[in-house]
Amino acid sequence: MSSSVEQRRPSPPRPSARPDRRPGRPADRRRGPRQAGSRLAGAGFLAPAVLFVGALLLLPFATTIHRSFFDDRRVSGFAGLDNYTLFLNDPTLVRSVQNTLMWVVGSVALPMVLGLAIAVLTHSGGWSRMARLLVVLPYALSGSAVAVVWNFVLTTDGAANQALRAFGLDSFAQGWLLEWPGNTLVMIIANTWQAAGVAVILFLVGLQTIPPETLEAAALDGAAGWRKFWYVVLPQLRTVSVIVVGTSLVGGLKSFDLIWVLTQGGPGRQSETLAVSMYQETFLALHPGAGAAVAVVLTAIVLLTSWLYLRRQLTPKGT
Amino acid sequence: MPTLTTSGRAPRPRPAPGRVLRNTVLVVTSLIWALPTWLLLVNALVPAADYSGEPHWWPQGFGLFDNISQAWTQAELGPAMGNSLLYAVTSATAAILVATMAAFATVIMPVKRKTLWFWLIYSGTLLPLQVFLRPLFLAYAGTGLYDAQFGLFLVYVAIAVPFAYFIMRNFALTLAPEIIEAARMDGASWWRIFWQIHVPLSWSAMVAAFVFQFVAVWNDLLFGITLSTSSNIRPVMAALAELQGNYSSVGPPVVLGGALLVSLPTVVLFFSAQRFFVSSLRLHG
Repeated sequence: MSSSVEQRRPSPPRPSARPDRRPGRPADRRRGPRQAGSRLAGAGFLAPAVLFVGALLLLPFATTIHRSFFDDRRVSGFAGLDNYTLFLNDPTLVRSVQNTLMWVVGSVALPMVLGLAIAVLTHSGGWSRMARLLVVLPYALSGSAVAVVWNFVLTTDGAANQALRAFGLDSFAQGWLLEWPGNTLVMIIANTWQAAGVAVILFLVGLQTIPPETLEAAALDGAAGWRKFWYVVLPQLRTVSVIVVGTSLVGGLKSFDLIWVLTQGGPGRQSETLAVSMYQETFLALHPGAGAAVAVVLTAIVLLTSWLYLRRQLTPKGT
Repeated sequence: MPTLTTSGRAPRPRPAPGRVLRNTVLVVTSLIWALPTWLLLVNALVPAADYSGEPHWWPQGFGLFDNISQAWTQAELGPAMGNSLLYAVTSATAAILVATMAAFATVIMPVKRKTLWFWLIYSGTLLPLQVFLRPLFLAYAGTGLYDAQFGLFLVYVAIAVPFAYFIMRNFALTLAPEIIEAARMDGASWWRIFWQIHVPLSWSAMVAAFVFQFVAVWNDLLFGITLSTSSNIRPVMAALAELQGNYSSVGPPVVLGGALLVSLPTVVLFFSAQRFFVSSLRLHG
């Protein structure tokens, strides 16, 4: 019986998916051997996915949590929260947390503002499609390739310094990747160069879903230009904005390739974020306990932010 | 004022000053945006021998193929690209299949505790990859999967399943249940229904998920550098990272040529399947 109840529950995770499907599928009303066979078959269809995710993702996840409570001495003993207090007293990890915060702010605010601006400016089509294409193109590159390109720009005898000297701004030429906090800031800019493309696409999708009637009504009321944008268009983009914030935030937090290929978190581990610190601590500094704690904290932050924006879409499931 | 025959979609032309300002902003922004790409192309074209240590801003000579072939040999990009192609195709295919089966089970079949299964599988996409690394590394080292193609294949499947499942499940929810009902009435087995009805109906979503996962695997660096080391096993981004590590010895044109080469497959895929990307992004959001 319980299965039929479960099936009747309106279950699409996205309320907007297809409301006409809501009334639900009629439950399999038969009972008996046929039903039992279906159960078994269902288990068979589910098993591969559950095995892959369980054995290769969830089990390692649990192991990492467990490991984070043990210290890094030769014979590892229970350490309680010692690995977590490193976030308060280890200068490298403190710096890593600072950098992560900068990344969070930068990787949300910049793609958000630029993505929205470019989407709105190129929405009307025509030749502005070309402009949009140029902005979206880097999104098709891998983080490693983006790092190669930006290394070429930012390295000491790179394009940025050359251009500054050409304009007589020699005093501004500097080792962009060598000093904190400048190196973190320029990497956030490189990240924006790549990530704004997603924001543009998402905002364009959002702009297309604004009902034409709304815009016409606004025009009838005499709203135009900024006023129309601010009071009519922007409120309609709230849902998309939440998605953009969420994906940029999680993307920024998980960002590894760009930093790893550009600076390896250096010099002196000054440009690490938590995603890089975990790798450094675990595989290079050989502090697996500290690395596990970093991974757990990063996971907690990612889950929290994901929850904040997924909540909207997944609550209809009523978990 | 009353003659508002606007299409509604596009904002109407604004007064001239606004339009000029807007176009200026647009041109400047897109030029700034194009600059790194431009530098990449121009300097990948410069023959490595002619590169004087100063970035070029305009094309000079044509050494692209030499640069690429140097990158190809220096970083052994050939085997690396072959590996990544292998991993991306096989693991994306396997993951889509596994995910479609799971979606079929949790949406169409009378399985109990659907919500539990949904979260169990979907949770994998919420966790940062770092949290899996060391346990996988140790387990792989203990079982001979470290630095083996099969090991990387397995982990890429596992990483791809949760999000592919999310796409396939959302898609399955939009399918009409009547067809399946009718097939059940006719006594078709679930296995047959899956292959002969569900898979053909889900084809478009499966392709979208495949494209998405192909790119994700192709672009992966983290697992590549953690779970493999030999140049005939490691994926392409690990090879590119090593090439970048030799930046000063091989010279910028070669490194940029290599970056250009390894980016081509995903750039081509991205623009030929842009529609799919947008739809997967929408599903993600």
